[in-house]
Amino acid sequence: MSKFLEQLLPALLAGVTLVSPLSAQDGPSYADLLKGFSNPDRWLTYSGDYSGKRHSPLQQITPENVSKLRPVWTFQTGTTTRGRGFETTPLADDGVLYVTGSNNNAWAIDAHTGRTFWRYRRNLPNDLTYGASAPVNRGFGMLGNKLFMVTLDAHLLAFDRRNGDILWDIELADYRVGYAATLAPLVLDGKVIVGISGGEYRTRGFIDAYNPLNGEQLWRFNTFPGPGEPGSETWPDDPEVLAAGGGGTWMNGSFDPELNLIFWGVGNPNPDYYGDARPGDNLYSNSLVALDADTGKLRWHYQFTPHDLNDWDSNHMPVLAEVNWQGRLRQVVMVGNRNGFFYVLDRVTGELLLGEPFTATSWARELDADGRPIVLNDGSQGCVPDPWGSTNFMPPTFVPEQDLFILTARETCATYVPEKPADAPGQSNFGGTVLIDAEQGRGALRALDIHTGNLVWEFSYPSPTFGGVLSTASGLVFAGDHEGNFMAFNADDGSHLWHYQTGSRIWGAAAMTFMLENRQLVLIPSGTTLTAFALPE
Amino acid sequence: MNRDRSLEVPIRHLLCPQWSFVLLAMATVLFAATPLLYAQSVNPLEGDARAIRGGAGLFRAQCATCHGANAKGISSIEAPDLTQIWSQRSLSAAAVFEIIRHGIPGSIMPPHSLTDTENWMLVAYLQSIAQAGVVGLPAGDAAAGRLAFVENCSTCHRAHGVGESLGPNLSNVTSQLSLERLVASVRDPDALVGRGYKLVQLRVSEGEEITGLIKSEDAFSLQLQDDTGRLRSVNKSELQTVERLPGSLMPAFVRTQLSNQRLFDIFNFLQNGAQQ
Repeated sequence: MSKFLEQLLPALLAGVTLVSPLSAQDGPSYADLLKGFSNPDRWLTYSGDYSGKRHSPLQQITPENVSKLRPVWTFQTGTTTRGRGFETTPLADDGVLYVTGSNNNAWAIDAHTGRTFWRYRRNLPNDLTYGASAPVNRGFGMLGNKLFMVTLDAHLLAFDRRNGDILWDIELADYRVGYAATLAPLVLDGKVIVGISGGEYRTRGFIDAYNPLNGEQLWRFNTFPGPGEPGSETWPDDPEVLAAGGGGTWMNGSFDPELNLIFWGVGNPNPDYYGDARPGDNLYSNSLVALDADTGKLRWHYQFTPHDLNDWDSNHMPVLAEVNWQGRLRQVVMVGNRNGFFYVLDRVTGELLLGEPFTATSWARELDADGRPIVLNDGSQGCVPDPWGSTNFMPPTFVPEQDLFILTARETCATYVPEKPADAPGQSNFGGTVLIDAEQGRGALRALDIHTGNLVWEFSYPSPTFGGVLSTASGLVFAGDHEGNFMAFNADDGSHLWHYQTGSRIWGAAAMTFMLENRQLVLIPSGTTLTAFALPE
Repeated sequence: MNRDRSLEVPIRHLLCPQWSFVLLAMATVLFAATPLLYAQSVNPLEGDARAIRGGAGLFRAQCATCHGANAKGISSIEAPDLTQIWSQRSLSAAAVFEIIRHGIPGSIMPPHSLTDTENWMLVAYLQSIAQAGVVGLPAGDAAAGRLAFVENCSTCHRAHGVGESLGPNLSNVTSQLSLERLVASVRDPDALVGRGYKLVQLRVSEGEEITGLIKSEDAFSLQLQDDTGRLRSVNKSELQTVERLPGSLMPAFVRTQLSNQRLFDIFNFLQNGAQQ
């Protein structure tokens, strides 16, 4: 036996890899996730880093050359979801893209060619309750050689990223009641954090942490307090109401490693439009919660929409930044909310620093001294934003060079007619209906000065749009619209620089970007396609 | 999938107690027929006023968020107009029952775990709001109607192989719109302009003017059918002005131009034209 084989054999017998623990084949470590965008060849988390800014440092594509951007390849999912369907952010590592799609399909794709390494399709139960409202998924989480994905039947799966094998599969909650899951898991040091959908059903929302090695539950934070717990005074003294209060956590959160806090949005109380059965503020619905990452204990909360009657879930990407606030460096968290207000809070204390409307909403125009909205029209007296809100879960971006918060704004007109629902497990119920004036709908990409909430620039869309936003350090903003355009703008003034018609509306998804062997790729999902763009070689 | 609960449950929840006797009788009949209920093609509750009311409640709770409170659909989320499904898509009651129960796989239309009775109530409600088309069309001369159609309508409309294609094809319109609505659309076409027929007047940089119907629009371009019938696209950046006009390209026909009888002749041609 050759010396080489002598060395090889014990390793083969032991079933271990022949590469060092630090090689690319071992996948990203928690230290890599912490570094965020520092390795330009990677995009490792839903937003690219833990802060949720979706602001890439890449500078190959610039306002001067972006007009030359062209498609490199298009990947077809082969799935058939109409309208909503492809909301994922692909993860990129070592030239491979890890992509989730509708109906819990998933793929590993070659970033050079768009060709598939492996495909996974979950065998979903026939009696799925659709707590997620649509059969979507927003992406993988990644740690080492493991990928993590949640499912429409409310499970959390761990994949081997090399072949798509399922390593473990655990149930988060019973889908038959109305639970489902769609977000991209947030991977921390020894923890996979997930939230849940189902706020239109008799569910109780939660945020969970699991051990990435085996799926063992580490902690659970219930979005509604139990009887006697702090916050329970904002609900009627009725365990039945609390147990079915909704409060989904279906959009990703962000993480501050120094404070060891995760920031997560909580959805609407159930039933959506009928509030008579749940008098009170209904904490922690429609709130941002700051949780200790090790224990899941609540550090602070801020409620955007007390006693929500309009289905304005606060399931948004919380955006973390360090900013010079009135002469003082502050750690802030920013949220563009479905209720039409843009908020800046001190993320150490939860103190509200700013709350200003960014649409023409007539629901409220200002907050009182305690940070509560002064509600002028709850929606029963004509035009307020529709249930999809003034913005939604489509990710915004933060441009730190100019302190601009850029988001997709929706201007809509809806009247709400509440009605007492007949509750039943496994059946959705909105508690009334909504009259929408379709003629009055429109949208815009809006850049806000975070210090004042003032509009710095906007680009108008002919319909209320659902596309997310990416920015780059070269001064570019990438956004998608409801008519299917994928577009680039100048971050300075919002001037339109380039667009490409993808053929289907861009719904919920935002672009991502990374370097593939010295060439910057920008990717956007749309309809049933994922398209990669780059400058000509 | 079919997680049947007792038939009394939806009835107790959805309808008022004073009807309990009638409903009990109805439930008894339905219960006896349960093995057949799921498989049958005709809605056993079609036209039943209480079932329609119950179905309307179910619709508001389960369907209205996507399909709109008036069931006319919400185009921005691709939720179809449910008042048109019977005439435009020729769906049977059983097919609608199946779609509600199983959803449309791969789409955002989810399955619903309603009992058979609840499901038929919902179908009964949808049947009750169907745009059924013309009922009781007054007598007319279809052959004379064809001539009147050629003379007055065919420059823009096509029906049964005759005419042009600037306006909608009218071959099936009598099964889609009521008589009242049909007459109104001729006498006052500006009152209701459908999607795809909104009028716009554009001034292009070189001074050229275009009048046409907006077929599609995004942030950068307009796709039109101009008043000559030509399909064309214009970039918004090349336009000097965009004037969106409130009315229809179709002129109003008053009675002196087109009497009611001539109109009924035309409608008879539209309804029976295929047999000519």
